[in-house]
Amino acid sequence: MRMNRRRSRVASVVAGVGIVAVLVAGCSRGGAEPDGDGGAATASPGITDTTITLGMTTPLSGGTAGPGTCTVAGLEAYFGSVNAAGGIEFGDGKTRTVEIKALDDEYDPQKAKANYDQLKGSVFAMTAGLGTPTNRAWREAAIADEVPQVLIQTGDPLFSNTQESPWQLGFVPAYQNEGEAFGELLAGAGGEHKVAILSQNDDYGEGYVEGFKSAIEGADNIEIVKELTYEATDTAVDAQLTELAASDADVLFNAMSITPLVISSLQKMQEIGWLPSLFLPSNTSSPGAILEPGGAAALPAVYTVSFAKTPQSPAYAEDEDVVTFLSDLAEYADYPDVPAFPHCMWSYMIGATLEQVFTKMTEPTREDFMAQLRTISDFEAPLMLPGTSVDTTEDDQPAVSTVQVIKYNGKGYEPVDSWDE
Amino acid sequence: MTATNSFSTAPASPWRARLERPWVRWGLVALVVVLAIVVPLLLPEFANQTLARIGVFSVAVLGLNVVMGYAGQISLGQIFFVGLGAYVTAYGYNAGWNIVIVFVLACLIPAVVGMVVALAAARLGGLAIAMVTIALPIIGVPLAKRFSEVTGGSQGTSARFSAAPEWSGLYDDQWQLYLVILIGGATFMLTRNLVRGKYGRAFAIVKGNESVAASMGVSPYRYKVLAFTIASLIGGVSGFLYMVVIQYTSPETLNFGHSIELLASMVIGGAGSIIGSLIGGAWYVLVPQVTNIIDPNLTTVLQGAILLIVLFFLPNGFVSLPRLLRRIGRRDAPQRSAAEVPQHIEE
Repeated sequence: MRMNRRRSRVASVVAGVGIVAVLVAGCSRGGAEPDGDGGAATASPGITDTTITLGMTTPLSGGTAGPGTCTVAGLEAYFGSVNAAGGIEFGDGKTRTVEIKALDDEYDPQKAKANYDQLKGSVFAMTAGLGTPTNRAWREAAIADEVPQVLIQTGDPLFSNTQESPWQLGFVPAYQNEGEAFGELLAGAGGEHKVAILSQNDDYGEGYVEGFKSAIEGADNIEIVKELTYEATDTAVDAQLTELAASDADVLFNAMSITPLVISSLQKMQEIGWLPSLFLPSNTSSPGAILEPGGAAALPAVYTVSFAKTPQSPAYAEDEDVVTFLSDLAEYADYPDVPAFPHCMWSYMIGATLEQVFTKMTEPTREDFMAQLRTISDFEAPLMLPGTSVDTTEDDQPAVSTVQVIKYNGKGYEPVDSWDE
Repeated sequence: MTATNSFSTAPASPWRARLERPWVRWGLVALVVVLAIVVPLLLPEFANQTLARIGVFSVAVLGLNVVMGYAGQISLGQIFFVGLGAYVTAYGYNAGWNIVIVFVLACLIPAVVGMVVALAAARLGGLAIAMVTIALPIIGVPLAKRFSEVTGGSQGTSARFSAAPEWSGLYDDQWQLYLVILIGGATFMLTRNLVRGKYGRAFAIVKGNESVAASMGVSPYRYKVLAFTIASLIGGVSGFLYMVVIQYTSPETLNFGHSIELLASMVIGGAGSIIGSLIGGAWYVLVPQVTNIIDPNLTTVLQGAILLIVLFFLPNGFVSLPRLLRRIGRRDAPQRSAAEVPQHIEE
């Protein structure tokens, strides 16, 4: 009796599970598979006859939230004004408005990849994201899925190499380009100079130093007397600065991307009485956010590089580009303050560059987009400094590779052509 | 406070009684196995990828649970072992080693490091262990950046070895989810057996009162070191699975903030519970995605708010939800029994 009951129970369990399995296996996997690429005219995801959707994964919270929010604001400002004027007329004759889907990745590569997985089926291209590890995390997946990862805000040269990254393109100059521009200026100086180098221990710092050193190679009047590094997570660089001050250098090449550290370095240098000429990278050179709190006016000279007009500078207060930019930011991007980070300007320029690509596209496909992206040359986007332009035709270079060295004049920056000005 | 007794005469609820019958349990196990095989074939790609990520972080939270939930030692360095396992995997794969050997190394190397750290740290009192473990991710990030020939520096390294093989006919995301279910499931089963056996009982005593443990012949020092080593080993497994699913690691993987998030996930899921680790992993992965949908600009603020609300109602984590519901349900019951009792008294 018990054996029968037991056997019937086992049988009913197996039957129940089997029924569930058969029912469930009878259904087939729902549609959301990537591509299938049939024919040249089949539209890619994220584009219809009236709209095109762009995706972004960028840090909107955490330590890099300031620049990250700017990356979204600049793009929304540009396309907000373009949409209000009716949209963009594409090369295939249709006029489309641009939508932007931005997600926060908290500067965590794992979350950046999750955001990419979430967006890739519903956006046409991914753009303008900030951060090297966060962009690298899904770079290979984007190549495998054939999703454009273009005009991203990282100076990592890997993204601009067409062989290694066929679906990617960097926007901002590589760290090496910036270091090189300053090195060239210094190498052309009349007198002798001793240089102390303080760099961040990662690809950012290494890239700057590499570019700088390659530009001063062979210049007899320039000598590097001391070179030190620090960690991006350090809370102070006082020890390094004290040691560098003892080397008696008259120029400090400071490849630092952490805003509070730059401010505290400026203050420490004045405290110990060491006042060299200073070089700062483009993303940590803001007069309002960094130089004024740090008291940089006490130094003989502060140089940086830029390719964008800085709205805080009184020289550009009346400039037509800047006025339009600030009003677009306030109206379409909900960003009423004058931006303290250059990323707002860079995103605005990315928007303008994308518009150029859209007007050339003849098919609503990602392949055509990538092909047209590489044909922009000599495009002077709004807010670009004279002498700099967008050029995507050069293999191995990001969209902007020319930079202008600019010098602090107490209130803002102005371009300089030689050291001894 | 008496320990819960599985030989109590009255089961806590009719469901418990049904669960204790073996054929119901086997039926449930078979159902779970069938679902685990069939569901990845049906779900869309993003759902599979999310489930795989949940699996990765559930294993990480499980490791944390072994040392914090069961053995009662505070560890704020679990993400270091996850990152170490991921880096070992990336290095081994890129060096061309057999993937099985890479997996074994990804388990052993973090375990050895964890044991070495624990041999020193377990001698210290409660909070001092926390401070030593805080140092692990904080040191780990600059180390990962400096040894750039081995780790790829701050740009990180990719290792793509989890593409679905030709003979399986599966999509990549399905294959990865199966790997996570298989390896993660095995880890969960082994850990469950561990904590239900003699080691689990030893951990519970060490957690409860170390003097009592010592007087019973259970060396607190030995079992703390054991708990740490097992937690690090499980962290290494989680690191291997991290590379299976995300296929990229960088010094950001070892960020100290993630250790705090893992801790919060463990508490939310339920400390000292196997199912709680699964819930904790789901929390770690899903909450950022949900807050992104609500408002991408306010993700961390919303995460903090949700954390506070959940902890206010469920201080013992989601695992205590059935108990809470039962208690709410029982509040209606006393009126009935109160009405019944006086009849007996009057007689």
